[in-house]
Amino acid sequence: MSDIHVHELNVNGEAHEVRFAATATLLDILRQQLGMTGAKRGCNQGVCGACTVLLDGAPVRSCLTLAANVGERQVMTVEGVQKDGMLSRVQQALLDSGAVQCGFCTPGIVIALEALLRERPMPDADEIRHALSGNLCRCSGYVKIVEAAVKAAGVAP
Amino acid sequence: MRFSAPETIAEAAALLREDGARCLSGGQSLVAMMNADLVTPSTLVSLRRIRGLDRIETGADGRLTIGAMATHARVARHASASAGAELVIAAAGTIGHPAIRNQGTIGGSIAHADPAADYPTAITCADASVVIAGAAGERRVAAADFFKGFYETALEPGEIVIAVEVPPGAPGARAHYEKFALIDGDFAVVSAAAIIGMENGRCTFARLAIGACAAVPVRSAAAEERIVGTDLDDEAVREAADLLVQCCDPLDDFRGSASYRLKLVPRLLRRAIGSARQKAERARV
Repeated sequence: MSDIHVHELNVNGEAHEVRFAATATLLDILRQQLGMTGAKRGCNQGVCGACTVLLDGAPVRSCLTLAANVGERQVMTVEGVQKDGMLSRVQQALLDSGAVQCGFCTPGIVIALEALLRERPMPDADEIRHALSGNLCRCSGYVKIVEAAVKAAGVAP
Repeated sequence: MRFSAPETIAEAAALLREDGARCLSGGQSLVAMMNADLVTPSTLVSLRRIRGLDRIETGADGRLTIGAMATHARVARHASASAGAELVIAAAGTIGHPAIRNQGTIGGSIAHADPAADYPTAITCADASVVIAGAAGERRVAAADFFKGFYETALEPGEIVIAVEVPPGAPGARAHYEKFALIDGDFAVVSAAAIIGMENGRCTFARLAIGACAAVPVRSAAAEERIVGTDLDDEAVREAADLLVQCCDPLDDFRGSASYRLKLVPRLLRRAIGSARQKAERARV
């Protein structure tokens, strides 16, 4: 039996009080307690990238991040990406480019690209591929996804 | 399972003396193993709140000290000031994917001691020391003595890796880390690390290591001696590779058969030596 922890988790700019076992991952808490089902449980091994979220602005695997170890750090999920009800430029570009097929990998791709464009506002195709190297798309729609990333980079944030 | 995040190394070491306690750094191996029900620690001791464990600094003697909690991403971005540093920094950049490198740490990677991981091979090649803290204080263990077997290290219960110290290598030497993986971001099928010093077309310094070909990174003093003093001609490099292959004892697994791995060793070693040599010769011009 695991100790139960009560913690404040900062997700998308809001503090949430959550109770969880020490073995719970951030992904478990997001999906099961906070109802944020954007981050997906794909492999649960850190390989597929579908669970990617930002932790203090850097992309990380929420499936390999224990909720108890998040502490005061800020989490951002795909639910927090849009502003004032408008899709972000990354989301809009993915939509416009037809870069969404089954959609399972899309939240992780959105997060990876948001992080890239914050750090490198005008990335080249290599930098985009590198930033997406840990995000698997089993529909294999990579060409459209890279096209969308190029498009998003051309739009003012 | 209990979770603690102590603020001092002494508290962490005390907690880790408990049977079944595990140290949590970046969690990129440990949490994956917990998710797969391969390990069920009784207590997790997070090192996140211990100050200063993530520092990266170069000393006056050229020695690069990398704190155990330094992430792969931070190490990979560090400017190298020596051949030893160059090798370890290059290896850091090949680990997993960006999101993995943002969380994974050097202390976690080497304490996990997967023989196919990148840091063990690089730090063994670079003659680095692992700084270990425990109840009795600090001790330093040469990387070559730190790795004991598959997922097995010289760490005793209640001990924590707190840093890795990388000596600069010979003046003017340069390094290359050659990793062969089936897909980007995967563990190596085989990796080869080389630090090479050149003077007037002759090799004056050589450190070589092979990864993912035995329970621990493979070194061979004879292989290094074989190429020092030569102009790194094909025959010398081939014979050095043969000497290293004799020390390898790879496994068959889904990434490749043992015989395939042994075939890769000379090829990857030639590339690693060749690239390190080129850099060393260019640096001299």
